[in-house]
Amino acid sequence: MAQERSQETSVAEPPPGSVADLFREALPGVQMSAEQTALDVAITVRREDLIRVMQTAKEDERLAFDFMRSLSGVDHLDELEVVYHLYSYSLGHAVAIKVRCPPDDAHMPTISHLWQTANWHEREAAELFGFVFDGHPDLRPLLTEEGLGYYIMRKTHPLAEIEEWQEDYLKAAEEAVAQAAAEAGVPMDERARKIELAQKKAVVIKKAREEARGRGLAGDEERAAVKAALKALEEEEAAKAEPKPAEAPAKPADDRAAKIALAQKKAALIKKTRDEARARGASQEEERQAVAEALKALAAEEKSG
Amino acid sequence: MATEYSVTPGKDLETIDINVNVGPQHPATHGVFRMVLTVDGEQVVDVDPIIGYMHRGAEKLSENCDYRQAIGYQDRTDYLAQFNTELCYVQAVEKLAGIEPPERAEYIRVILAELNRIASHYMFMGAFGTDIGVFGTAFMYTFRDREIIQDLFEEITGERMMYAYFRAGGVAWDVPEDFRERCREVLSAVRKGIGDIDGLMTDNEVIIARCRGVSPVTPEDAINWGLTGPMLRATGLEHDVRRAEPYCIYDRFEFDIPTGIQGDVYDRYLVRLEEMRQSVRIVEQALEGMPEGPIMAEGLKRTLRLPEGEVYMRNETPRGEYGIYLISKGGDKPYRLKIRSPAFSNLSALRAMSIGSYVADTIVTLGSIDIVLCEVDR
Repeated sequence: MAQERSQETSVAEPPPGSVADLFREALPGVQMSAEQTALDVAITVRREDLIRVMQTAKEDERLAFDFMRSLSGVDHLDELEVVYHLYSYSLGHAVAIKVRCPPDDAHMPTISHLWQTANWHEREAAELFGFVFDGHPDLRPLLTEEGLGYYIMRKTHPLAEIEEWQEDYLKAAEEAVAQAAAEAGVPMDERARKIELAQKKAVVIKKAREEARGRGLAGDEERAAVKAALKALEEEEAAKAEPKPAEAPAKPADDRAAKIALAQKKAALIKKTRDEARARGASQEEERQAVAEALKALAAEEKSG
Repeated sequence: MATEYSVTPGKDLETIDINVNVGPQHPATHGVFRMVLTVDGEQVVDVDPIIGYMHRGAEKLSENCDYRQAIGYQDRTDYLAQFNTELCYVQAVEKLAGIEPPERAEYIRVILAELNRIASHYMFMGAFGTDIGVFGTAFMYTFRDREIIQDLFEEITGERMMYAYFRAGGVAWDVPEDFRERCREVLSAVRKGIGDIDGLMTDNEVIIARCRGVSPVTPEDAINWGLTGPMLRATGLEHDVRRAEPYCIYDRFEFDIPTGIQGDVYDRYLVRLEEMRQSVRIVEQALEGMPEGPIMAEGLKRTLRLPEGEVYMRNETPRGEYGIYLISKGGDKPYRLKIRSPAFSNLSALRAMSIGSYVADTIVTLGSIDIVLCEVDR
């Protein structure tokens, strides 16, 4: 039997005595290749043989597939595929029949005259993948009454494209955000800086993760690597941001900041004096006196300065 | 002055069929579903069911998620049997990845899936009663009892509806310590509830008058139309995926497969009622056999990467055969994920079942399919 798709390496041969042998017995001379999937045997046939194969599958006593349980379209990019899952109530066995066709010639013979349930399944596949089931009695779109005009389940169709009407909304939303920020007094360059930082972080995380995976790390180790990369980025950013506060003193410091600075100075002085007093071996009373004197000196210095 | 109607003599009068639009917002359509009936008087000549109002592209969305994230979309297909759909999906992933979930997880899954089946059938009983015109009789009782099961699910998963509790390899976390006792409480309430429904509905004159002999289906037609689940069993065919192609650990439990005789609406109701009793039996056995131990397979990576391969996993959900056709081409996302929705196939037979019946019976037939539009449209 000719192996049509021998270029695929991972095809597992079905065990002897499987349903694939029954098909070969019932359909001598028909080109087919069989593989064992996780549960069922899958048989790939040529498009021109499909009707004959399906008719035999339903009517041959050895096969007796009376139930078409599922019909799925699959987009393999270079080819489109229809997969029919069949089941036999009388014999209790199952099979998958696969047929391929080029995407620009997606014609398939209908099987809805063999199994009526295929009617809606074919309509759905036609609508979502762009198949044309020749001979189908009523191939109107099923899920969208008027049809979409494009085939959403094809791999070439993006999950969500930003459409023209959405662009206007996005622009308007962005402007609204900018306006609100301006009104609230948040400088826009601050916001832009934050966005830039977030973007940088995302790049670093992705890179670190890929590197970690490349080295064969997983789980906690991977997470640790990402964390380290993020820390490095933060340090780098902090170093860059350092010169900025140097400009700050040019502005008149407000009252509150000055008070805080003074309090911090006081605290440092108290600690220093206390430590010195203790190092001298002074008593508690002497220590308190020393601290009070130091504070007085500081107050005088602040006044004059 | 009275209006005078006159017929021009000699001109032939013709009778035309009238189109009647039902839905998309209509109490009998169980969500957003529309059908255009062509009627000749009271007789239905043609039905054109129009679906897709809930089409969200769940398959496409799942293909852009990793294997764990896609579990969430399963809850949102059949939102009355979330555990059943989740179970089908995670088993498909397990089959491809070669993961064996631990025993305890399997038992928890079976218990929850069967309780979910009961809850879903409760919903059917209530909504169906409303379709027929016995609102207060069944609706209030079934919703009272469904809430008891719903409470248990909330205790376990933290969610009332969108559980996302099953994982490839096990379940997300262990059940509470009092799980067994709570299940037994729920079961005793369910047993009483089933008895209540049985007493209220089975011999109810209105229900018999509206359901007996309405849209009978032969087994041959049912198979040809792709009917599964209670719709199929009502025709007399003894088929259940749990028995025919056992998955999970269903081969360990004893349960009967109820079947009907005529395949009419009344038989579908009876089959569902008996299925609830059988689910109670399964849960009882599972509670007996549930071992202690781990709830997650060991050595799983945080992000699951599947080898190349494909699987068509099928489960018996309350509505019939739910299938997940999963293709992996390596990586952490499904290459293709097709959902075989039982309600979709069952609904496609509505046209064939309704032609020739009365308009009022079409509503009853639609109700007996037990559609969930989120699952039909995906």
